[in-house]
Amino acid sequence: MILEGINVTRWFGGLCALKEVHFSIEDGEILGLIGPNGAGKTTLINLITGYYAPNSGQIKYEGKDIVGLSPHAVNKLGISRTFQIVRTFPKLTVLDNVRSGLVERRQRSPWRVALDSIIKNPDVQMIGSAGEGRALELLEFVGLTEYRDELAENLPFAYSKRLEIARALATNPKILLLDEPSSGLNPKEQNDQVTIIRRINEQGITILIVEHVMKVIMDISHRILVLHYGEKIAEGRPEEIYKNTRVIEAYLGSEAYAHG
Amino acid sequence: MNRKLFKLSLIILGILFILALPFIIQDRYFQHLLVLSGIFIILTSSWNLLAGYSGLLNLGHAAFYGIGGYSSALLALKLGLSPWIGLPLGGIISSIFGIFLGIPSFRLSGPYLAITTIGFSEILRLVSMNWVDLTRGSLGLYGIPPLTSLKLPKGILIKFVSEQNFYYVVIIFASLTLFIIRRLVYSEFGISLRSMREDEMGSESIGIDTSRYKLTVFMISAFFAGFAGALYAHYVRLISPEMLSLSETFTVLTMVMVGGLGTLYGPVVGAVVLTFLSEGLRFLEDIVKLNIRFVIYGALLMTTILFMRNGIVGLFQKKTQGTKG
Repeated sequence: MILEGINVTRWFGGLCALKEVHFSIEDGEILGLIGPNGAGKTTLINLITGYYAPNSGQIKYEGKDIVGLSPHAVNKLGISRTFQIVRTFPKLTVLDNVRSGLVERRQRSPWRVALDSIIKNPDVQMIGSAGEGRALELLEFVGLTEYRDELAENLPFAYSKRLEIARALATNPKILLLDEPSSGLNPKEQNDQVTIIRRINEQGITILIVEHVMKVIMDISHRILVLHYGEKIAEGRPEEIYKNTRVIEAYLGSEAYAHG
Repeated sequence: MNRKLFKLSLIILGILFILALPFIIQDRYFQHLLVLSGIFIILTSSWNLLAGYSGLLNLGHAAFYGIGGYSSALLALKLGLSPWIGLPLGGIISSIFGIFLGIPSFRLSGPYLAITTIGFSEILRLVSMNWVDLTRGSLGLYGIPPLTSLKLPKGILIKFVSEQNFYYVVIIFASLTLFIIRRLVYSEFGISLRSMREDEMGSESIGIDTSRYKLTVFMISAFFAGFAGALYAHYVRLISPEMLSLSETFTVLTMVMVGGLGTLYGPVVGAVVLTFLSEGLRFLEDIVKLNIRFVIYGALLMTTILFMRNGIVGLFQKKTQGTKG
């Protein structure tokens, strides 16, 4: 077990976004997280990555409680994420976007980075360094090599989603949290995205994926966890989730759909 | 290869031209403007590091400038410290004050941070106005010693009272500043700053400790601003609370915007162009009897924002801005 949540609860004012949710992610698996809008999926990712703190409960990463850590500290432990609305850096080139993810790989203080930059320590150089090599490798991996010098703001939507994944991978994560990586993409782009996610997983990186596109999530996940109004209503293999009556009622809605 | 040689010879010619300038034009007033431009280059570049590269709109930059000037001047006047030590010390003291803006920037951004920085600089300006025992209030400090003469072997003495000699001191420090800022910006440090400017949440998600970066960059920027202030104090040898005023900050802001915000050489171009422009237009002030300088600055600023977002330097850049842009 790489990541575990115990009794995780989060309130926003009078609204309970997550209610005593238990979850666990095994090392190397792809865990799908589904649920209707407002079920608490993104909230859960934000809680894990330190953007919010839970009101109660524990989140353990490799056995250690990570509640209360700030997002950058969580990332340094090996948890990386993407955002539902892409947060790439528009005025940076595609290559620099990936490089930005490499800056903290040696976990130095900003003063150290500044000093290294001034004395031109080869480690921090941007051109012809090991860092650049790694950044190019990652661009190749997501198929954006030819756009390396383009500003990120000029990329088509589907590509900026991939760029964000490459940037997240640059931090060398053990677990990657993907918040709706296929939303807004056309079927072909969705397929490409599935291929990329599979290949990331094949490299031994654990994945938690939030997704609305059923085809994608059923296709890719080893296990699925279903949230409904902040509560966990089901957990299991994709086939089991398909047949689960509570899930069908809550999420897929009509009985007609359930009977096919 | 030929292109490279051409570029290299152009650079060498440029350097020779800069070095020979005070000899080409012997006019002392012209040389005075050159020195002022050089000091402004340090000041504008340091502001650009914050506002241009890190997205931290500091409207209290004149405070750092003033702190550096007052610190070095007071150390020389009260303790008899050599101005050569006063220069870096002025920078370091200013850098410590940088912490006071760095910490609020953890949680404040955009207009909220801007207002805080204005408050910060106004407080310090009022202190410099009213702490009469130390600063002589609005009368300012006068009789600040010039940079001590350098004794070279064989009895050669280099004095820094003349504009011409001070020019070379300023050129050296301005080049050094640009060199360091260039290294900072075109490396991983610069990538972190820019990513922070672009998207703070995104930066945090890839492990960048935005708070610590903000603090660091505020301190670095304040150091250079303080250093510029100290240079100014030992050059003009008379400083007043005017140095910490908002109009000083807006002068810097206009220079950077007109030259090119977030570009390495924008602040240089802006500093030189506006220093000469505002002095060149001084004759107008006698005619219209008002401070025409800020009217011109305002008009320039508006023109820049409307018609050339990336300033003068931006006009010469390619559309896609690579890492070397």
